[in-house]
Amino acid sequence: MLTTRFLVLSVLPVICLLVLPLMGMAHNISESNARFVEGISGPAIVPFMYLGAKHMVTGYDHLLFLLGVIFFLFRARDILLFVTLFTLGHSITLMSGVLLQVNVNAYLIDAIIGLSVVYKAFENIDGFKQVFGLQLNARLAVFIFGLFHGLGLATKLQEFAISSDGLVTNIVSFNVGVEIGQAIALALILIVLLHWRQRDSFQNHAFIANTLLMTAGFVLTGYQIAGYMWA
Amino acid sequence: MKQETYRILIATAAAFATSLVILFTLVLPAEFDIDPLGTGQALGIFGLSSTTETPTVFKEGKVYLSDSVEYVLQPFESVEYKYRMNSDSTLVYAWHASDSVTFDFHGEPDDGPEGFAESYSIGKGLAENGSFFAPFTGIHGWFWENRGADAVTVKLTTSGFYSATLEFRDGFVNERLLSY
Repeated sequence: MLTTRFLVLSVLPVICLLVLPLMGMAHNISESNARFVEGISGPAIVPFMYLGAKHMVTGYDHLLFLLGVIFFLFRARDILLFVTLFTLGHSITLMSGVLLQVNVNAYLIDAIIGLSVVYKAFENIDGFKQVFGLQLNARLAVFIFGLFHGLGLATKLQEFAISSDGLVTNIVSFNVGVEIGQAIALALILIVLLHWRQRDSFQNHAFIANTLLMTAGFVLTGYQIAGYMWA
Repeated sequence: MKQETYRILIATAAAFATSLVILFTLVLPAEFDIDPLGTGQALGIFGLSSTTETPTVFKEGKVYLSDSVEYVLQPFESVEYKYRMNSDSTLVYAWHASDSVTFDFHGEPDDGPEGFAESYSIGKGLAENGSFFAPFTGIHGWFWENRGADAVTVKLTTSGFYSATLEFRDGFVNERLLSY
């Protein structure tokens, strides 16, 4: 118990420091990319697919949430089910958000996405059941948070003035790119997770890892709230 | 309270507290120029993400000058014409040639090593127009060479903030200080 607490207190800040440089990496689609996209008129399947994939692979908030979601999913069927629910959720709001020009604040949405990481990590350490005596529907939750992740994606795409010419094609392309990026990221996360699970220490480390995940989620949330207030 | 519950609460509180520490000591100073605890200054990360925007208007203390030169280049003849400029000074330029010439728009910093040059625009063509923002104090200008079979006329017009012109031709350097 003592060593666990020691590990939490010592390893936690170190890992979070490692995450920090990622934050400097502009999560928003970079300026040069934006200029390129704004120059496009008409359908451009490959550029938008590339941007979607890039956004997902470099989007640590989406990746951390996915890591949390599949952390304790051992069966391929479950992984597929949860990832499909997440994909369904974010695709709905990504497509409709851009098409209906839903105007939401990107910082607030990203703060909620940060909280989705906190939620999943708290669920993974069995917090809802042990502390609140709640049994939440994990499938419904991943779908609902998927909706928020999709809104976040929509705000990113709305940040640049996309031409209405070929809009649907381009959003679909971006969405497909997001799924490709997600598949690539998931494959990498799974490789690491599968190796990790084979070790006896997995159960012990799982608690610390999810505590770290929760910390990262809190940092992301605070970062976005600060962005909303001061950026 | 059950031990398991206690453990979860401790972990959650630790996660939240750690995130606050990270946010206030690192993220706020580095990302938002807010340094409530002075850690940003102490660690040297304050203002890490401040964007220095290029000003729309850049005021000059120097006198505004215009200059124009014209050269006739025989086949395989070349000339170099440069301006002495301070770092961050600007000029607007336009040159055109009667036939295609090889050109190299480049600069040599005053404090650079012997023979060091940085090229801004290299190519082969009939004309080029633009504006130039000197990246360093030194001499900045064009090298033109006629690689064709017939004589070519090159004409350059500039205006901006420079203090001298230098002509490199036939192995000679001719520096002309511009009087205000």
